[in-house]
Amino acid sequence: MANLNTQSAKERTFDAIVIGSGMSGGWAAKELTGKGLKTLMLERGRDVKHLKDYPTTNMYPWEFEHRGVIPADVQEQNPVINRCYAFREDAAHFFVKDAEHPYVQEKPFDWIRGYQVGGKSLMWARQTQRWSDFDFEGPARDGYAVDWPIRYKDLAPWYSYVEKFAGIAGNKDGIPELPDGEFLPGYPLNDVEQYFSQHVKSKYQNRHVISARCAHLSKPNQIHIDQGRTQCQNRILCQRGCPFGGYFSANSSTIPWALNSGKLTLRPFSVVESIIYDEKLGKATGVRIVDTNTKETIEYFARVIFVNAAAINTNLVLLNSTSHRFPNGLGNDSGVLGKYIAFHNYSAHISAEYDGFKDWTTDGRNPAGGGYIPRFRNVYKQETDFLRGYASGFSAYRYKQHKYDGVGADLKENLVKGELGPWHVGSHMMGETIPKETNYVKLNAKQKDAWGIPLLNISVDYDDNDEKMKKDYIEQLTEMFTSAGFTNIKPSVNHQAPGLDIHEMGGARMGLDPKTSILNKWNQMHACKNVFVTDGASMTSTSCQNPSLTYMALTARAADYAVSEINKGNI
Amino acid sequence: MNRRTLIKNLALVAGGTVLLPSCLKSTGQASVHLKHLNINADQEKLIADICETIIPKTNTPGAKDLNLPRFVLKMVDDCTKKKDQIAFMTGLGEFNELVKKKHNNNFSDLSPKEREQVLADLEKSGKPAAEQSRGIKPVSESGKSLDVVKKKPDVPPLTLFYNTIKQQTIFGYTNSQYFMTKQIVYELIPGRYNAHFPAKNLKAV
Repeated sequence: MANLNTQSAKERTFDAIVIGSGMSGGWAAKELTGKGLKTLMLERGRDVKHLKDYPTTNMYPWEFEHRGVIPADVQEQNPVINRCYAFREDAAHFFVKDAEHPYVQEKPFDWIRGYQVGGKSLMWARQTQRWSDFDFEGPARDGYAVDWPIRYKDLAPWYSYVEKFAGIAGNKDGIPELPDGEFLPGYPLNDVEQYFSQHVKSKYQNRHVISARCAHLSKPNQIHIDQGRTQCQNRILCQRGCPFGGYFSANSSTIPWALNSGKLTLRPFSVVESIIYDEKLGKATGVRIVDTNTKETIEYFARVIFVNAAAINTNLVLLNSTSHRFPNGLGNDSGVLGKYIAFHNYSAHISAEYDGFKDWTTDGRNPAGGGYIPRFRNVYKQETDFLRGYASGFSAYRYKQHKYDGVGADLKENLVKGELGPWHVGSHMMGETIPKETNYVKLNAKQKDAWGIPLLNISVDYDDNDEKMKKDYIEQLTEMFTSAGFTNIKPSVNHQAPGLDIHEMGGARMGLDPKTSILNKWNQMHACKNVFVTDGASMTSTSCQNPSLTYMALTARAADYAVSEINKGNI
Repeated sequence: MNRRTLIKNLALVAGGTVLLPSCLKSTGQASVHLKHLNINADQEKLIADICETIIPKTNTPGAKDLNLPRFVLKMVDDCTKKKDQIAFMTGLGEFNELVKKKHNNNFSDLSPKEREQVLADLEKSGKPAAEQSRGIKPVSESGKSLDVVKKKPDVPPLTLFYNTIKQQTIFGYTNSQYFMTKQIVYELIPGRYNAHFPAKNLKAV
């Protein structure tokens, strides 16, 4: 018996374990296996194989039972996920339904999750803007959170590294606050977007409207073809999974690459209960999982552990990994674990019309989604009564308008005919929020999930800074729209809860000082050197750029460091 | 009694009270299997005839050819809130009454011209047309906000009944394989983005 156990333990021992298979977990697996480490990737949900497991990808609108609409009872039973823009009949199978995985909302929080191999990288919005030192130096300059232990120069080569592999379409715009990257050809702005871009440039200093940078293969390089991916075909049905591999996802890119190395073991249906800490060795030795099919508890062992469970769940895993040494969660000497959660403020929009370029329109579909306005507020100096600022999406479009009144043959004809309406323009706010101790997640003392793991309490809210910033966005965009001659300008604010932005970050932040942070400048735990956290949980502040590209770069950088530390015998 | 059965029965009561006179001769079951709505054969025929009046067969297929009545019922059954389903049934009864009172006949027994007139009058009185044009987005963008009536709790049942049928008939028609391949060209794989394209060259897509 003893012999058998030893053998079995050997089979359950790897060089590295990666918890999570999404945006950052996929990168961890690719990098670690690429450097020769025998790696186990744990995913709590089912497997989703590229091409094979995209059941709706080639369906026409009329082939959907309800033509895309989610049935009323599903909507009623799942108020949280139903608020997500991408939760429609074609991609509903990739989203977690509310009742399947409950959590406790101390304050309203729309927690949008994808529990499957690939995670949310399957359904993400694919916007990939780099951060700059205006972001990394933010906390130190403006006196919030803690100083980032890294600067742009630390991450720049890793941005380049991941961009080349993932494939990012964009233009070199030469804007310091939004550094240029390794780009495939950018998608063009249309006439009205171009007009607005030129107008803003002539009228304002340091305000730019550029083509949004996105993870689409506008023109694949050999490295993308080697991944089995081909040129983006402008379907914009990405949330279904792409038969061309036209956009970056873990499923189409990093995971198959890691599997091809022969070094990766992928284990779906594996909920991580905790990370095992060995008091004598003073390090983590493995991971305890529950097999969701058999309900069996199994332990796996490795020299190094990467935690990439997606920001909030990474916090849950760490908080639930208690030991004599770490009674309040793994690596939590500082007491900040689970705290300083922040997100992006997406609660304002503005729309208008433009009476021009009537002879022109667009044809086909734009994967970039249009334009992007990098943050222009408080960039070079503090100039408002709120901290930080916002980036803005910007796009222009026109479509055929139809007459819907009446019945019969005339109506039938009107549904085809229609007239091309005026150009519509729209923008949405993407605001940085300030991480605060009072925005936290913690383990629920009483309730447990189906696998005996405590539920998570989430307590995250907007603050006064967010309100002021929202007001400023409306004022500034209204002014810019007015000045550009746009008409029928309609600002609108919504009252969406935090979380619906799907950019939740923090809880296990990086920092210079172990007394006020969990991770060092390598995303390595200050107090447990063989554990690395490289997903959203590691973020010290949120910037206002979409964060995924930064997670990818941080992960590749941390994996490189981890392997060099292993080779030096340090971990 | 579970919640679903309760609500189903409530719908029956609400619809049934008004429907009583016309129910006397109708006992047949609907051909379509529904989970929530209780629709008999006469009611199913009425809805089909309304659909066909909205999108009639001309030299191109009409609602019945394209199976739209079945689609409309399915959408009301699956994708409409319970409270609106109840109002829908009430509205159905009121519709029957209204037609009887005005034309001394069942809707289905009227000539196609008369049927068009009934619906045109109803649109005028309930002003559903204005709501329609606000509520229905272009086919490619149609989605969750489809159900305009749910945002307007004060819509009378008759208006809700008619708006729902019209909306779903149009939605079903413009998302049908026939419409999306023969009337317009839906492109699953455009393979291009032209940011500067002459409006006059735009095809029906």
